[in-house]
Amino acid sequence: MTNQQQSPVLSVEGLVKDYPGVRAVDDVSFSIERSTVHCLIGENGAGKSTLIKMLTGALQPTHGTMKVNGSVYQPNNTHEARGHGIATLFQELHVVDELSVLENLTLGMEVSRFGFFIKSDLEDRVIQTLKAIEPSIDPSARVSSLSVAQKQIIEIARAASSGANVIIMDEPTAALSEREVDRLFGVIRRLQETGVTVIYISHKLDEILNLGDTVTVMRDGKHIITKPLSEVSGRAELIELMIGRSAFQTHTPRTKISDEILLKAENLTNDLLKDVSFHIHKGEIVGFYGLVGAGKTEIARALFGADQVAGSISFKGQKVGRSPKHAIEAGIALVPEERRTQGLFTNLTIRENIPVMNLRNLSDYGIFRSADEVAAAIEYVDKLSIATDSIEKHTEKLSGGNQQKVVLAKCLFSDADLLLLDEPTRGVDVGAKTEIYDIIKDLADEGNSVAIFSSELEEVLGICDRIFLLYSGSLEEEFINSPDVDVSHILNVVTGGHEGAVL
Amino acid sequence: MSLVTKSAKPIGHKRSLSDEMFITMLVASVAVGIFLLASVLVPNFFQWQNLINLVTNNWAVISLGIGVTFLLVSGNFDLSVGGIVALSGVLSVWFVQSTGGVNALSTGLGMPYWLGVICALGGALAIGGLNALFVVRFRIPSIIVTLGTMMVARGIAQVITQGSQRNTNLPDEFGFLGNLTMFGTSIRFPVVLMAFMLIVAVIIERKMVFGRITYWIGANPIAATLSGIDKAKHVTYLYLFSSGIAGVVGILLSSEFKSGYSNRGMLMEFDALVIALLGGVAIAGGFGSVVGMFFGAIILAVVTSATTGLTLSPDWQFILKAVAVFLAIMTQTWALARRNR
Repeated sequence: MTNQQQSPVLSVEGLVKDYPGVRAVDDVSFSIERSTVHCLIGENGAGKSTLIKMLTGALQPTHGTMKVNGSVYQPNNTHEARGHGIATLFQELHVVDELSVLENLTLGMEVSRFGFFIKSDLEDRVIQTLKAIEPSIDPSARVSSLSVAQKQIIEIARAASSGANVIIMDEPTAALSEREVDRLFGVIRRLQETGVTVIYISHKLDEILNLGDTVTVMRDGKHIITKPLSEVSGRAELIELMIGRSAFQTHTPRTKISDEILLKAENLTNDLLKDVSFHIHKGEIVGFYGLVGAGKTEIARALFGADQVAGSISFKGQKVGRSPKHAIEAGIALVPEERRTQGLFTNLTIRENIPVMNLRNLSDYGIFRSADEVAAAIEYVDKLSIATDSIEKHTEKLSGGNQQKVVLAKCLFSDADLLLLDEPTRGVDVGAKTEIYDIIKDLADEGNSVAIFSSELEEVLGICDRIFLLYSGSLEEEFINSPDVDVSHILNVVTGGHEGAVL
Repeated sequence: MSLVTKSAKPIGHKRSLSDEMFITMLVASVAVGIFLLASVLVPNFFQWQNLINLVTNNWAVISLGIGVTFLLVSGNFDLSVGGIVALSGVLSVWFVQSTGGVNALSTGLGMPYWLGVICALGGALAIGGLNALFVVRFRIPSIIVTLGTMMVARGIAQVITQGSQRNTNLPDEFGFLGNLTMFGTSIRFPVVLMAFMLIVAVIIERKMVFGRITYWIGANPIAATLSGIDKAKHVTYLYLFSSGIAGVVGILLSSEFKSGYSNRGMLMEFDALVIALLGGVAIAGGFGSVVGMFFGAIILAVVTSATTGLTLSPDWQFILKAVAVFLAIMTQTWALARRNR
């Protein structure tokens, strides 16, 4: 027991996770003390979720060790992680609406013999736990009658009463109102008093400053720092740690932007988007920057006609947004967010991937001109420096950056006037990133327009001429990019720092 | 700057063989190998006529296999083809039988033969349209939809024939197409038609945009939609083609036998599926070829006829087919994994 008291509840040493072509988590070591709220922050792609997936057994590390209470811990799946007392609260809820609160809490823990339930003190224990963390919920109420926040508390109570002593919460407040957030914080603090450790992941820095005891910052897969929040001076310091100033590309203002408006979107509205209006000039590179769930992908998909939204979109004076086919014919192409599932035909070759968005260019009366196809593939492999020994290589065998270039080649081949790039460099290594940025700039210099939807500030500040800031579905601010933009102001806006105030 | 990683060697575009060609060659060599093996084991097996028979006796399943292969490549099943064979055959008989027969089964609608055939084909296409409607519009898994329409089609055939068959009161020209021999040989029209459809299918698959779109949809339906491909339209065409082929097969079979029989084409949908899988078509879509399917059919035909030649009881046929299917598919998986290691 004394050993348990002294060693940290959870620690990682030299943890590494490699994906083909990318090192998502790079030699991370830190430890988490018992009964604390330990916050984990970092930009998108910093490696937070990969780290969490390793802790919960969903992924196995390439190297390195994890320890729970000082003993080595190697979970192969989430179930084994549960067995070691580590539970995860995911963004989507896993409660059964049709059952009562009590039934939900005991779900999967029922004591049975020969397939029949037998009485135990389980129910009493569970009710006690629930009362301790949130007395206002009636255990006999049906879960369907509860709010999202209350359902979340049920999940926390379930984790706590199943004996979890570490609960990981991934963006738990994403769907909560301000009052509900306060309530959740109350629950977390009471949990903490009962000896539970909470790992708290959020982009909302105010929450972290308000709730946390310790903070760990990650950037580019590396561990930057772990320090008590009492020693942190404020938001500005956290932001600085997250983005590491030095890494910024300097933006050189471009001169080839015309005044002609290519695309005009007015009052786009759907479940998430709130009355979004903007326009894009010919030859311009615009950036949409916001956190996950801010509405970037929704805007991209709406412009491309992949999702239907209320409002109007006109492109070269004509209405678009009916279907992707229609958008491509009008001259809009999209590089989707997920290249493997949405962009690439992984079991086909590079040559077979490239022509898909512009079949008319490669066929006469429905018959493919194979020679032209080969020529096009060679041209784009060369133009985008796709690293391959043959255009007949299956795209699944390429690295992430080269796969992304193939998706980009596919869109470039469509001869679009407006390119929508959703997270164009996610999971792409630094070298390929720079190459992709150069391609984007060349395109714009040739008179095409590019819209970049990104959750990496560095990327947006590095190449965009004009930037839109998004927060939870609304367009909060718009500004012209220049070397002296106020980064902390931008981060303040996209993390909800001045909600409602539109400039 | 661009000189850094560029090697002097230009980017190649000829790979020795694509995976599809590799599998097709593998299936073809297995077909040849199994034929030679059977020739050693079974007396009188190694004969030119026997080789021809292997193809001509299976024209119906191979024809159905074309539509089924295209659908599988697009990531969809078609289990309704056997039912459509029965339905279109029975319809063609019923439409052409003259009015006023002695009983209900010998009384038809008295259409001229050509009109009867067109209407029967219309019936087949209606089932294909139904498949497309449920799969495309209502997004019900194709395996369920076509399992349903398989029974619907055969059910209608059963009602029209009252569970028996219609073979009386037919004009003489009804038996013409199914028994027409061509080029002064014993090769019949249906076999020639099968060969013609195979060639057209290979051209569509290899050379035409339509074929390529089928692979794109099967390889990644989401990416295909986001690349501007009208998936709904394309899958609808595929179901219509498949049911159209099945309709033609049904009409030719009832012409051959001069009868409409509701149990005709029983289990043909599974044979068509099996030869496609034997031929290396991936059940998950995006991979496979019509030529592979053809050689898959040859493998199955050799196994079936060798059993008969070995004077094994026909009861053993299913087990031998099963063994052949498992072996063939395991070999393919293993060979492909090894090649791509």
